[in-house]
Order: sequence, then C-alpha cells, then structure tokens
Amino acid sequence: MREKPWFAVAYMFAVTAFFSFIVIGLARVTAERVRRNEQLAFERAVLMALQMAQGKTAEQIHQTFVEMIEPVQGENNYGLIRDGELAAYAVGFSGRGFWAPIRGVIGIEPDRQTVIGIAFYDQKETPGLGGEIVGQTFRRQFENLKLNPGPRPIEFRPFGATLDSHQVHAITGATQTCTRLEHLMNEDINEWLRIVAQEDTK
Amino acid sequence: MSPNGGTPGTRAIIFDGLWHNNPVFRQILGICSTLAVTNLVLNTLVMCAALTMVLAASSLTVSLLRKFTPRNIRMMVQTLVIAFYVIIVDTSLRGYWPDMSAALGPYVGLIITNCIIMGRCEAFAGTNKPFGALTDGFFNGLGYSLLLLAIAIPRELLGMGSILGFPMPYFSGAWDRWIIMVMPPGAFFTLAVIVWICRAIKPREEKIA
Repeated sequence: MREKPWFAVAYMFAVTAFFSFIVIGLARVTAERVRRNEQLAFERAVLMALQMAQGKTAEQIHQTFVEMIEPVQGENNYGLIRDGELAAYAVGFSGRGFWAPIRGVIGIEPDRQTVIGIAFYDQKETPGLGGEIVGQTFRRQFENLKLNPGPRPIEFRPFGATLDSHQVHAITGATQTCTRLEHLMNEDINEWLRIVAQEDTK
Repeated sequence: MSPNGGTPGTRAIIFDGLWHNNPVFRQILGICSTLAVTNLVLNTLVMCAALTMVLAASSLTVSLLRKFTPRNIRMMVQTLVIAFYVIIVDTSLRGYWPDMSAALGPYVGLIITNCIIMGRCEAFAGTNKPFGALTDGFFNGLGYSLLLLAIAIPRELLGMGSILGFPMPYFSGAWDRWIIMVMPPGAFFTLAVIVWICRAIKPREEKIA
C-alpha cells in the first residue's frame, strides 16, 4: 500500500497538515511577543539615539518613551518633550542595506545641526562586517557631529582619513553597507530638514 | 546503515559523527554556513546549537516516520520535517531571544538548506532505529560545531582581537588586526588550514575493491 500513488498524496497531505498545524499554533502564540519585541527595539533605538537608554530596563524604556516622546513633523520622526518644550529630535531613517533594509534613528539637538547619537532597530548586514554599524565604536563617532548644509549632511570617509566635523570613518570591509547607509541617512535627514524648514515658513 | 549492512553501535555512531566521518572536514558538507557565520564566536555558537537541535530532531522524526513514508516522496517529507524544526527555532528566537535573532539575521532560515541535515536524514535516519538516528544527528551536529569553533576562534581573535566579544591580551592592543580574517577570504583560508590539519591527523583510509 505504501508505494501506491494515492497513498503518497494522502500521506504528504497528512504530514504537511500536521506540521503546519503546529507551526501556525506557535506563530500565533508568539505573535504578540514578537510584535512587542519589535516595538521595544524601536523605542530603545529612539532613546539610544537621544542618549537616554543607558541602564534602563525594558519596562523603563517603554515608560520613558510613552511619557516623553511624541511624533513630530514627517513620517517616523519624533521629538523629546521636556516641560512642554521640544528638547531634541529623533529622526527616523530607512532604506536598502547590503542584504536587507536598514532602519535606524538619529538624535539631533533643537539647533537642527548637532547630532546626539544614532541607533538601529532593524538590520541584517553581515555579522562582523556591515553588522558592526550597531557596535559602539562606529556609533560613538556620530556624537556631537555637526550636520553639513548641502546634499551630504553626513559624510563617510575611509578608515584613517582626517575628519571634518560632519565626517565619520567608514567600516573597513563593509564598503557596500557604508555607501548605502550614508546615502539613506542623508536622504532622510535632508527630507526632514526640508519638512521643518517648510513648517518654519508657515 | 554500516558498510556490512547492520546497525552500527552507539559508540561507533558517536565517533563517526565527531571525527572519523566528520561532516565538515571529511564529507565537506555544510560549507556555506561554515564560511558565513564563523567570523564571530558567539554567532557560531548559536548557529551550532540551532543546527545540532534541528539535525537531532529531524533525524529522530525521519526515523520515526521511516516505516510509513513512501520511498518516492521521502525527500519531500525530509525537507518538510527539516523546515518545520527550523521555523520552530526561528520563531522561538524571534519571540524569546530577539537580540540573537537580529544578530543571526538570515542565517537561521538558511539551516534548511544545510546539506548535512538532508545528508544524515537520507544516509542514516531513513534506514535506522530512532535512538541511533537521534544519536547520529546529535553527534554529527556536535562534529560540525567543533570544526566551526576551530575556525571561528582564530578568525575572531586575529581579525577583531577578541573572543566572544571580550578583548584578548596582546591581540586587542599591540596586534595589528588582520581585517581579512573576518572577511570572506579569511573564512576560506582558515577552513583550508583546519581541513588540512584534520586530514593530516586522520588520513582517509580508502578501501580498494
């Protein structure tokens, strides 16, 4: 019976249905947890970009985000509100990386020029190479950077090059990731600067 | 199945998986993931744990189903079983260990395509009893893990000056880091050296018919 064609079809259906049932069940059980993890990763990235995430637990991060962060001009841009005043911007940036989309946040002072920090909440770059964009060594370079007026507010330079106040060192061996990251960050920062300039003229 | 047609003993299965018939240096299987994940020891460890779990569970399941599975669709069933366990690992990581899920990126999903798993299911689990299949899967996973760690440790040490992210004396300071070691060419060089060393210790014993 085992080698009959109808048995093979019926057997494959039965086995597929059985394993699918378990996989769908697990996906349903973990769906809410996965969604919360993604939201928490985003909230942590916003606070990291504003240098406010140090030493905070997951609950504290969520609490701080809910209490102090509000959406501002443009899609995916947020503001840090202290005593009813805007104390900093958290500008979202996203675009295609080397393997998959890169999504992150850049914290900017109210002068719209000084960078507070950057953080990422979604990236699948090569571990150890492009993946090093999430490492402290790379991210620390952005602290106190001055955005340059013009098409490239932030510029990536080869490792070892002398840096200007709007430049950072790229990661050796991750040329594609750095080129794409520089492009997507500048694109979204310029878009945000355009939106806030429009708001000012209103 | 052993060469003489009988089921090999547990001890033979263990040593075959770990050394005599090691999937990486003897069978040259699973090379894609060996090259891809070995630039950081932590990623390698998690990849090895995930692969060993998937390999052992898949071998056990394929063995349990072996008397019911029609021969002409056995490979479809094996692929389904492997994909099932990989999705379980991937979903669990995303739900309960999101940092590691993010660090491993696309590699977990690619366990499905690891030829060691399909190879063991086809060569051993499909024709042997569940306990033997489970042991074979687990120790082949362990044999793969040992080789991967032997490649990952020098790569991270020489390329980044650290092990498991912790800076190592001398290598994190005076050592001029060999960035090429954490890049793809470094994986090829290290793999070749490790395979050379292992095969020098244990040369192939070809039987001429």
